[in-house]
Amino acid sequence: MSALTRNTTGMSRLIWTAGICIGASLPHWTTLPIWAPALLLLCIGWRFAARIARLPLPGRKLMWLVTFGAFGAVFFEFRTINGLVPGTALLVVMVSLKFLEARSQRDHMLLTVIAYFLVFASLLAGGGPLKGLYLFVFVWITTLGLLQVGRHGSLLPNVPTARLAGRMLVQSLPLMIVLFLLFPRLPGPLWAIPGAPGSGSTGLSGEMSPGDITDLGLSDEIAFRVEFMGQTPAASELYWRGPVLPLFDGRTWTRLRGSRGTVSDTIEYLGQTSEYRVMLETEGRNWVFAIDMPQTWTTGDRRQSIRMNSEYQLNVFPPGANQGRLTYTVTSHSRYRAAETLTDSEIELFTRLPSSSNPRTRELVERIVEDDPDVRTLVERALGVFRQSDFFYTLTPPPLGVHTADDFIFETKEGFCEHYASAFAIMMRMAGLPARVVTGYQGGELNSIGDYYVIRQSDAHAWTEVWTPEDGWLRVDPVSAVAPERIALGSSRSSIARPATVATRLGRLPWLRQAALAWDVVNTFWDDRIVGYGPRLQRLLLERLGFERPDWRELLALTVISTAVLMVALTIYLGLKVRETIVPDPAARSFASFMRKLGKLEVEPMQPGESPTAYARRAAERLPDDAESIRSITATYLAARYEPDPGGSASSRLRDLVRSFRSGYAPAST
Amino acid sequence: MLSAQSARLRSLAADWARRRQGEDSHAVALQRRRVYILPTRYGLIFALTVFAMLLGSLNYGASLGFGLTFLLCGLGLVLMQHCHNNLLGVTISFAGADPVFAGAEARFRIALQNGAAETRWDLAIDCGASGDGPVDLASGAATTLQVNLPTRTRGWVHLTRFSVSSRHPGNLFRAWSWIHMDARCLVYPEPAPPGRPYAFSSDAGGMRSAPQQEEDDFVGLRDASPADPPRRLAWKAYARSDQLMTKEFAGSAAPACLFDWRELAELDDDAKLSQLTRWCLDAAHEGRSFGLVLPDRKIPLGTGERHLHDCLQALALHGLAE
Repeated sequence: MSALTRNTTGMSRLIWTAGICIGASLPHWTTLPIWAPALLLLCIGWRFAARIARLPLPGRKLMWLVTFGAFGAVFFEFRTINGLVPGTALLVVMVSLKFLEARSQRDHMLLTVIAYFLVFASLLAGGGPLKGLYLFVFVWITTLGLLQVGRHGSLLPNVPTARLAGRMLVQSLPLMIVLFLLFPRLPGPLWAIPGAPGSGSTGLSGEMSPGDITDLGLSDEIAFRVEFMGQTPAASELYWRGPVLPLFDGRTWTRLRGSRGTVSDTIEYLGQTSEYRVMLETEGRNWVFAIDMPQTWTTGDRRQSIRMNSEYQLNVFPPGANQGRLTYTVTSHSRYRAAETLTDSEIELFTRLPSSSNPRTRELVERIVEDDPDVRTLVERALGVFRQSDFFYTLTPPPLGVHTADDFIFETKEGFCEHYASAFAIMMRMAGLPARVVTGYQGGELNSIGDYYVIRQSDAHAWTEVWTPEDGWLRVDPVSAVAPERIALGSSRSSIARPATVATRLGRLPWLRQAALAWDVVNTFWDDRIVGYGPRLQRLLLERLGFERPDWRELLALTVISTAVLMVALTIYLGLKVRETIVPDPAARSFASFMRKLGKLEVEPMQPGESPTAYARRAAERLPDDAESIRSITATYLAARYEPDPGGSASSRLRDLVRSFRSGYAPAST
Repeated sequence: MLSAQSARLRSLAADWARRRQGEDSHAVALQRRRVYILPTRYGLIFALTVFAMLLGSLNYGASLGFGLTFLLCGLGLVLMQHCHNNLLGVTISFAGADPVFAGAEARFRIALQNGAAETRWDLAIDCGASGDGPVDLASGAATTLQVNLPTRTRGWVHLTRFSVSSRHPGNLFRAWSWIHMDARCLVYPEPAPPGRPYAFSSDAGGMRSAPQQEEDDFVGLRDASPADPPRRLAWKAYARSDQLMTKEFAGSAAPACLFDWRELAELDDDAKLSQLTRWCLDAAHEGRSFGLVLPDRKIPLGTGERHLHDCLQALALHGLAE
């Protein structure tokens, strides 16, 4: 290989490896600290500069410094080097430094294999179908790069090689699918995964401070999906019960630390039942959602169970172990009687208010109670406050001062569910009735294509529960007093003072809405069947295939057998393709037919290790009359075979000679 | 230690393959059952990486991770198939080896011809420490590669075994086929160092012993040979150029000589052969007519490449069973 080819090959190899490294780290750029991709780009830039402009590469001392610096930076950034993101950051650092000194084929091969691993790391964090598509395409590109970098000589032609890489990936798909479906999935992790605390993800936070938020940027992000088995309750009954907030400090409602013991036994279930399956991204939080009021609940996962706490809130147990997706089945009742008896200390807990807060509201409540002390009508009369005055439901309310209820009821009169729920609960507590705030979601949107409900972050809701000695806990939703259509239709279709964003305007176009629905079906299938394929779905699939409760040994055996069957099939398939393509050498074919003719004349066939010349000599001894033509055929054969034969003239002469051998006429010699 | 073990293992495997395949004829078309395959070290690294991915997927219960792991797993197995198929349809034949002197490397030319309809990539030839390639062969194309073997003694040197291999695609696997064909190269005896004057056989029948030089015209100079009579050396030219030359005269074809084994009685057999080789080479170089007398064979006087080869072959094979 000339120095020039070697040079251009080295350059093309560098370009391939650089592209692969950047592409593989790209999905990580948003989660990594900014300096990690910056280091990668710097190293790649430096390497190319060194190559093109003959700049010096960093010396050994600087390399050590950068290496230690980068590792130290990872450690100080994350306080650990264990875990997905720190590990990925380390991997990117290693790729950067390795690239800087990549010279031999070995270096490039290692970088390519690490690129596969980077792609893998970005898949551990999950992702939608688009990410899956990107990564499949990228695996294709990486495979093409592997073929190029793995070459000894100059690079292969790109287009046919890309086709080869694609063909090989398609050929490995059946194996991938079989292994994906059959390889035994473990119900638990092999070793502890360092937790990633709820890193700024949206969703209910477990506390509530009305008046602090002045613009509820409701996202269309999906909170969870629900599949009903049988009857679907009316939209107005879809109160998805989440975190219950009994503690109030004058500004913020928070959850109870601990539990008040088991009180859920006292619930009396009435009304219609509905059974449904919820698919939820738990995002590191303990609580899960169910229609008010859930009666039974099961997770599909043996590792986790769901328990109801004293505030009738469903929590995952053990806490902290619920990373990622959780699927669970619940039966709920549309009506219930939660007539638990409260002790004095509990009554004190549920009526506790900071003293001297909200003086004007306190005055108003005292007046209402003086009018009629009957607690049964009290709730209705308090709600009347919101009905009579000109209260307004908006997602962009003005901020509230120290006395949030006073400001809301008497000054601004504008707010969303949190404002109403908080103000109402404060009023009830002032009247001496135990009250608490319940947060969750209300409503949901039916995906008519996939026949399931989608509950989005924009469906987030808050309401109040009031306790009376006769009826126990009662759900009171003050918003329904002000904006009943919010409850009846759900947030996405009620247009109450909702800022018309571009997205919602576009959402009104029917075809776009259809497209969005279809996309959500793809997403659901992806999340539910592919990302969510785990021990439970595997068991279901195998049961459908006729395996009763297979254990992992049987599964492993099944995996091995099906892999072997597929490999044999692949070998046969590829072998058939090869057999079709082999073109026998015409000279060899002619000589073979000559040997067949001689075989009929009782010449022993050519022995292994015997040369054609020796064979011909033997044949000539056996058939002295034909000695001359045997000699000339053999000479022509050797000439056709081992000497340059551009037009194939020797081959065709050989064919004629063999054809005329012992057939009675002279060859048409050329 | 480890490399010694692996070399031993390799030779055991090769011997097994030889017993299994038998001797090859002059041309071998590679078929599936004689192509062997093993992962390269990159293949092992790839496998380790995929295994690490499997552990990671199991730990995180990450379905998409499983997906990529199994895709790469499948890819590895598919690559193996493609690598194995990349040798099929290639025909290998021995295209000759030019004779060499003992001590030099014997160069075996191996012809490769691609009888398949697809290009065969990255074909290489290996024989111990020596190898050639890789080359790509388009459908129907042919090329010649070369492997070298060191030689120590005269006679035939056999290329007992060599392998044709390919690492395409991806360099994760190496597929190879062992070839055992009757490929041999003639090794002439190592020429003795120059300096010993020719010794002529006493019964050198038709040879002219004393050249009649004086009356011929001087035509030029040529490199001196130890056999030249001192009177004909160009001493003046030697003084000027430091190079010993011999004056040549028209019509004075150098005298013929018949080199005789018996003239070298004081040397052992191999030294005799070396000395005779040296003389033959010098004589041929000077354009003399020369011949050989060996204990069991006599080669009459002659000139030319063919004659030189015959003489050297006789010397190379003297006393060896054909």
